[in-house]
Amino acid sequence: MSGFEFEEYGALVSELRAAAPVAPERLRQRVLGLAPASRRSRSPRRRLALVVVPVAVVLSVGAAVVHGVVNSGSHPSLAAPDVLKAGVSHNAPQTTITHESAAGKHLTQVPGTNTAAQGLDKTTRSAANNVYAAAPTTQSRTLHGNGGVLIPSDRLVHADASLEVRVPSHSALSHATNQATQIVSSLGGYAQSVQYQSVSKGGGSAYLALRVPVDKAETAIARLGQLGTLVSQQVSTQDLQQQLTRQTNQIGTLRRAIAVYEQALQSGSLSASQRIELQIKLSNARHAVAQLRKARTGTVASAATADISLTLETHKGAVVGGGDHKGGRLSRMFHSAVGFLALEAMIVLYALVVLSPVLLLGGLGWWLVRERRRRDERRLLASA
Amino acid sequence: MRGVNALPAAVRPPRRVGAPAFADVVAEHLDAVYRYLVYVTGDRAAAEDLAAETFERAFRSWRRFDPRKGAPRTWLCRIAHSTAVDWFRAEARRQKREETYSRDEALLQESVFAEGLSPELEGALRRLTPAEREVVALRVLLELDGPSAARVLRITTTACSTRLSRALKRLEEEMSDVRI
Repeated sequence: MSGFEFEEYGALVSELRAAAPVAPERLRQRVLGLAPASRRSRSPRRRLALVVVPVAVVLSVGAAVVHGVVNSGSHPSLAAPDVLKAGVSHNAPQTTITHESAAGKHLTQVPGTNTAAQGLDKTTRSAANNVYAAAPTTQSRTLHGNGGVLIPSDRLVHADASLEVRVPSHSALSHATNQATQIVSSLGGYAQSVQYQSVSKGGGSAYLALRVPVDKAETAIARLGQLGTLVSQQVSTQDLQQQLTRQTNQIGTLRRAIAVYEQALQSGSLSASQRIELQIKLSNARHAVAQLRKARTGTVASAATADISLTLETHKGAVVGGGDHKGGRLSRMFHSAVGFLALEAMIVLYALVVLSPVLLLGGLGWWLVRERRRRDERRLLASA
Repeated sequence: MRGVNALPAAVRPPRRVGAPAFADVVAEHLDAVYRYLVYVTGDRAAAEDLAAETFERAFRSWRRFDPRKGAPRTWLCRIAHSTAVDWFRAEARRQKREETYSRDEALLQESVFAEGLSPELEGALRRLTPAEREVVALRVLLELDGPSAARVLRITTTACSTRLSRALKRLEEEMSDVRI
C-alpha cells in the first residue's frame, strides 16, 4: 500500500505519528533482564525430534551393517579351504529344490560345493523330507548323479531346472556347449535354443534352453553339472497328478451327464421347449468335454518333458589364486547391508501407505482447527 | 533508542551470518512493538507486559528467524499479534467469569494511546475495535507496507487495505461526532 491511501487523512495521520507512544525505560530494562532466563526454556517437542530422528537413522543403519557383517561371515569358502585348494570357485554353488503340489510350495536352499557331496546329500535329504511329503513312496528313493536332484517317477510332475556352470576357458566353453547338446540328445531330448557369446581374452558365456524326458531329467542334470564347476543349481517340480485326476474326474462327470441327456432326448416324452433346453445343455457339455480333454493332453505333455536352463560361463576370478577373497566378503557385506536398508525402507513405505489416510485425516482436522481458531481470533479482535 | 553496545552480553544469542544481532533488534524495534500493542490492547500496562512477553518469545525463537523471509519488525509484530490475541482470549474469559468492566472505566479516565493526542482523537481511537486500531498501528505508526501488514494480520493485502480504509474513515467520523 502506498502513501496515496493516507492522502485524504493527512492531518489525522500526522497527529497519530507525532504522538506515537514510546516504550518506558522500565520496559526496556525488563526486556533486557528477561533474556538470561529465556535461555533455559526450549521446546521439548523440538528437542525430542532432534534426538529421536538421528537415533532412528543410526539404529536402522547400524542394524543393516550388523546384518551385513553377520551374513558375510557365513562364507562357505572359509570353512572349506581344501575345496579352494583343489581349484574350486570361491562362490560356492547354491542348490535350490522346489516342489509345488496341492499341499503347497516347498523351498529348500542350502549352499554347498560341487565336490562336497556330503553337503548336497544333506540338502537333498532335507528337501526330500519337505518336498515329497505328499508322496511318501518317493522318500526311499536313492540319489542319482550328483546326488542333488530327486524327481518322482511314480507321479505326474513337471520339472524345471536351472544350472549355472563355470568353465575355466574359452575353449572349454565351446566344448561344454557342444557336450551339453550331445548329452540331452543322447537322453532323448533336444536343445530348444542356444545362445553363445565369447569375447577376446578367453571370456564368454553360453545360455542353453534344453528339454529332456522327465524320467531322464535327473541324469541330465547330473551330467550337465559335471561339465565344469557347478555354481548354482535350482530344480523345481510341480505335481500335476492331482490336476490330471481332477480333469479326468470332470470329464467322467460330464460324460455321464451327456449320456443322461442323450437318453432323455431319445425317450420322446419331452415337450419342445424341454428338448431345446436339453439340447443346449448337451451341446455345452460336449464342448466342455472337448476343452477338458485338450487341457488334460496339455497336462500330460507338460509332465512328459523337463525344461533345463543351462548357463555356461567363464570367469577369470573364479579360479583360486585371484586373491579377491577380502574384497568379495566386503562386497557381500555391502550388498547385504544395502538389501537390509531397502527392506527397512519398504517397511517404512508400507507403514506410510497404511497410515496415510490417518495422517490425511489428522492434517484435515488440524487445518479445520486452525481455521476455526483464526475465525475466532478475527471475531475477538473485531468485537473486543 | 539505546546503543547496541549498552546491552549486556546475555541478550546476544549466537549471531548467524546475514542476521542482525538480537540486541540490535531489541534496541531498534522495542518502541514499535510497544506502540503496536498499546493500540491493539488499548491498555498501557497490558501492552508493557505483552511487549516483554513478545521479546521473550522472540528471543527463544531467534535462531529460527530468517531475515530473507521478512524484516525483523514484521516478524516481531507477528509474535506480538499472537501474544495480543492470547491476551484478548484470557481477558474475555476473565470478564465472563468476573462480569466486571473496571478496565474499561479506567480506559475512559486516562490517556492511553499517547500523551500528545487531542481528546477527540483519543476518544475516537477508544471507540475503534482492536482490529481497526491494529491496522492503523501497523500501517500508520509502524509504517509497514501493505504486504508486511497483511502478513502480520494473516489476511490478504487487499483485505488489509480495505480494513485500513474503513478504520481511518471511521476514525474521522468518530472525531467529527465528538466535535459536533
